Amino acid sequence: MKLPIAAGLATGAVALTLYSLFEGGAWFWACVGTLVVTTAVGALASRFAAPRWAAPLLMPVAVTVYLSATFAKEHTWAWLVPTKASALRLGELLAEGFADIQRFAAPVPAEPGVSLLTASGVGLIAVLVDLFAVRLRRAALAGLPLLGLFTVPAAVLPEPVAWPAFVIAAIGYVGLLVADGRERLTSWGRAVLVRRTRTAGADKADSGRLALSGKRIGATAITLAIVLPALLPALSPDPLFGFGVGNGSGRGGNSIGIPDAIAKLSGQLSQQRNATVLTYTSGDDRPRYLRIYALDVFDGKKWTVSPLRGRPEDRVSEGPLPPPPGLGPGVATNRVESRVSVSEDIDPLRFLPLPYPAVQVDADGDWRADQASRMVFSTRDDAAGLDYRVIVNEPHPTRAQLDVMSTPTPDARFLALPDLDPKVVAMAERVTEGGATPYQKAVLLQEWFTGKGGFSYSLETKGSGGDALSRFILIGRTGYCEQFASAMAVMARVIGIPARVSIGYTGGTKIGKSWSVRTQDAHAWPELYFDGAGWLPFEPTPTGAVGQGTARVPDYSLPLTPDATPSAGPSSGPSSEDDDSAATGGPSRRNPRDFDRDLGAVPIVVDEGMPVPAKIALGAGAVLLLALVPALARALVRRRRYALVRRGGARPAVRAAWAELCDTLTDLGMSREPSESPRALARRLTEMYEFDADAAAAITSIATVEERMRYAASPPAAGPGPSDLPRVRRALAGAVRRRRRVASRFAPRSTLLRVRAAGTKLLDGFDRLEGIRWRPLSRSGAGTR
Amino acid sequence: MAVTSDVAPDAGNRLEDLVETAHRIRRAIESVIEGKAEVVRLTLTVLLAEGHLLIEDVPGVGKTMLAKALARSIDCPVRRVQFTPDLLPSDITGVSAYNQQTREFEFKPGPVFANIVVGDEINRASPKTQSALLECMEEHQVTVDGVTYELESPFMVIATQNPIEMEGTYPLPEAQRDRFTAKIAMGYPEPTAELEMLDVHGAAQPLGKLEPVATTAEVRALIRAVRAVYVSQAVKKYAVDMVTATRRSPDLRLGASPRATLHLVRGARAHAALSGRDYVIPDDLQELAVPVLAHRLLPSLEAQGQRRQPEQVVAELVRRVPVPDTN
Repeated sequence: MKLPIAAGLATGAVALTLYSLFEGGAWFWACVGTLVVTTAVGALASRFAAPRWAAPLLMPVAVTVYLSATFAKEHTWAWLVPTKASALRLGELLAEGFADIQRFAAPVPAEPGVSLLTASGVGLIAVLVDLFAVRLRRAALAGLPLLGLFTVPAAVLPEPVAWPAFVIAAIGYVGLLVADGRERLTSWGRAVLVRRTRTAGADKADSGRLALSGKRIGATAITLAIVLPALLPALSPDPLFGFGVGNGSGRGGNSIGIPDAIAKLSGQLSQQRNATVLTYTSGDDRPRYLRIYALDVFDGKKWTVSPLRGRPEDRVSEGPLPPPPGLGPGVATNRVESRVSVSEDIDPLRFLPLPYPAVQVDADGDWRADQASRMVFSTRDDAAGLDYRVIVNEPHPTRAQLDVMSTPTPDARFLALPDLDPKVVAMAERVTEGGATPYQKAVLLQEWFTGKGGFSYSLETKGSGGDALSRFILIGRTGYCEQFASAMAVMARVIGIPARVSIGYTGGTKIGKSWSVRTQDAHAWPELYFDGAGWLPFEPTPTGAVGQGTARVPDYSLPLTPDATPSAGPSSGPSSEDDDSAATGGPSRRNPRDFDRDLGAVPIVVDEGMPVPAKIALGAGAVLLLALVPALARALVRRRRYALVRRGGARPAVRAAWAELCDTLTDLGMSREPSESPRALARRLTEMYEFDADAAAAITSIATVEERMRYAASPPAAGPGPSDLPRVRRALAGAVRRRRRVASRFAPRSTLLRVRAAGTKLLDGFDRLEGIRWRPLSRSGAGTR
Repeated sequence: MAVTSDVAPDAGNRLEDLVETAHRIRRAIESVIEGKAEVVRLTLTVLLAEGHLLIEDVPGVGKTMLAKALARSIDCPVRRVQFTPDLLPSDITGVSAYNQQTREFEFKPGPVFANIVVGDEINRASPKTQSALLECMEEHQVTVDGVTYELESPFMVIATQNPIEMEGTYPLPEAQRDRFTAKIAMGYPEPTAELEMLDVHGAAQPLGKLEPVATTAEVRALIRAVRAVYVSQAVKKYAVDMVTATRRSPDLRLGASPRATLHLVRGARAHAALSGRDYVIPDDLQELAVPVLAHRLLPSLEAQGQRRQPEQVVAELVRRVPVPDTN
């Protein structure tokens, strides 16, 4: 492949990874056109041996002509030559593009402005790649502009770039390197050979083999880059906060997703290292739930976030946010200011934990608020180490007010439900039949979860799967905040109350003057919508010692008769513990978050999670196990062969004995000549290692039956004796040093060689694949040879 | 060719007889030629493979003695021809002479009409005479004046020759060398063997005391038994691989002929039978490769420059060609 073409293809391959930034395909065709133009200019410049500086100068001109003709056709002269008017038009379009990109979060609709902007950018990269790879002959350096292009989707989107896209981009780059290597090599033979090869077609033979090994290295590197992170748990990007490459779950980039936010929670909750995530002070010195995500879409299995919009004017630095949705004038509100400082050590987090409903947030950086959900996020900045001020306008509706509030949904998605188990629907209706108003029904629902329903709290429950929800509601009734929040939100939607699930942290515990929120305070809770009060949090998860330690039940959600829910009230405290555990039955084991009671003390309970040394030991053990796989495989093979020999059917026994003998020799590092017959091998081994009579007889017996099997008219009547093989093995092992013996046991060469042979076969497969593609091209030249 | 089941029981007996008879002959020859067990064994192998043997060595190491001892230990007609530069073809094949009494031409058989023919110093004769022997060797028949006379079985030519560097020798052409199944060199005896030889042979002529230990009929039976030895497909392929390797070797100008392959496999059969085996294994071929193949090959100029003899090249090829694994 010619180098300029390889450069163009490499740029194209990397440009493909931009797909998730845009809606629609117009940008793609604009980029393809640009690349065709630049590649053509580059190829022509090389063909006619133009000076080095020519191509980098000609390319932008050609790209400008192309873009003018495409985007501002009506202003060009003869539909081709750019004019002043067309230049102005392009400028306008570029400005529009910039504005669009500023206005929309990805994916951006591919309007002409955006397409033009993208095509120009890709064109610029193409010029740089061509400059480095073709003009300066530094193909490796061309990786830098390509990498720059690749980082755009990786940096802008919170989701990982899908791995197939990464593979294509990597193959593009490797292809460029291969083409460069080939060009370099053939240039040595130019004076004598290359002229002739134009007609004789003999040039491929020289570089083919080298290119082959290059391709093999490239293919192996790409495979490793994808497979290795997937295999090593430590390198796999965190699906909640991950922004890396290599996560196989690329979802197409329609929403700034937190795919398994909820499932992730149990991991957070059960963490042994109960690190402080953030601390905050609040004006009224009361704890508040800090929300990170509001999940509003339920697909039957999990909750996800619908696409977020963060326009530039939604930056929190632009001033106070509009009043929270649904809050009516009659409801008393409480304006409280909090200062939050997030720990520097947390994983990358691009959402701010905030109390609801925030009306003003002062944080450094480009933080934007999604109007509908009040989630505050950034595509650039990280919450780690951030200090910010937030003002909430907390509604305090009275029960009387709540009783008269209706529940029209602000958006259909807050009531949308997938097909549910009819029993769940029936259950929701049965539980809430005593309530006259939506508010009363909501209270009954929460009461059912925290008391009457007989639910119990346990981190053991697995919170995913298709019917996990109905299992939780109808049968198991054991779970943690995730199940409780999810179930209550679903059942609220069933009875017509708009609901969503919030993910974040509980208010934490007070240490000194401020409140401290730790990893194990991670929490999920439902928010229900009442017209006039807005979104109100509820707390179906058991609290206190047998539940989520620092969770608190809002006053308005408590039933009117306090004795109905002995365990739910935050004030009921320790005295209610006995009743509660008696009522819930089930696994009444100690709650891992018990320590919240003795503030600041070192966690005592360690029945979940494990200490760091144990983790290291576990990792080392896993590595060790992995390293022992060949040894294990070898041991299994040996056992099977011994069994075959013992069973004694002539043919399989003879074959097995011989194969085992050969593998043993390989393992012990003893050579075997290809021209050595069984008899000759037995003789040589006997002489070389001075076998005693027994061992000599044993190996002779193995060799003789093998020989008969191979060469005689009739196969031997029986295999070798069952004790022959172990005897020979012992004799052979006794002849080598101890170190070699141990090595043969733990890293058997016969197995490793087989693995290597399989690898070679795989690479051969790669080569054959390539052969299929390129044969027609080389055949045309080879035909005249 | 294969040993089928109805022949098998008999074959077992025959094989034991064969080993026994062969052992007798060997002992008889070794009573005359000391310390040359390998040479004697190879000679027997060639006899049972229905081939011909070429013994090349300097004068006086017992070439003729070996040939004579073999002939004497089998109770069969033996003729000896001393090749000289003036020897004529008819001196070998025989002539038709006019009988005055019967008034007819009468065929006087030459020395070739015997079971074992010893051709001494064969490379001293002119090529014309040498080639007269060829027809007999290959076709087991003699044609004189348009009449063809069959030779008796077993028929074996044991030719001796001095190294070609010696005076007054005509080198054997490739075509003629190709007809000999194997070429061996006697080599000087070990000092101890030579000492013993002085003790034994010093006083008497040992050949005179040698009694026949086998009959012609017995030898014919042995040859039949050898023909029945089984050669698996894998071993046949191995033989072909080996011969092909000589044709491809850059060290050789002329590789082995298809006839060489034939001789190799026949020899391997005899070798296997002599070891008491009714099937051929690669080891048989490996042991015979140098004596059977080397004398037919011509080294390339490079190999000559490096003084590499065809024997060395063949030994190297034997080490390189992988043995067949399965049938």
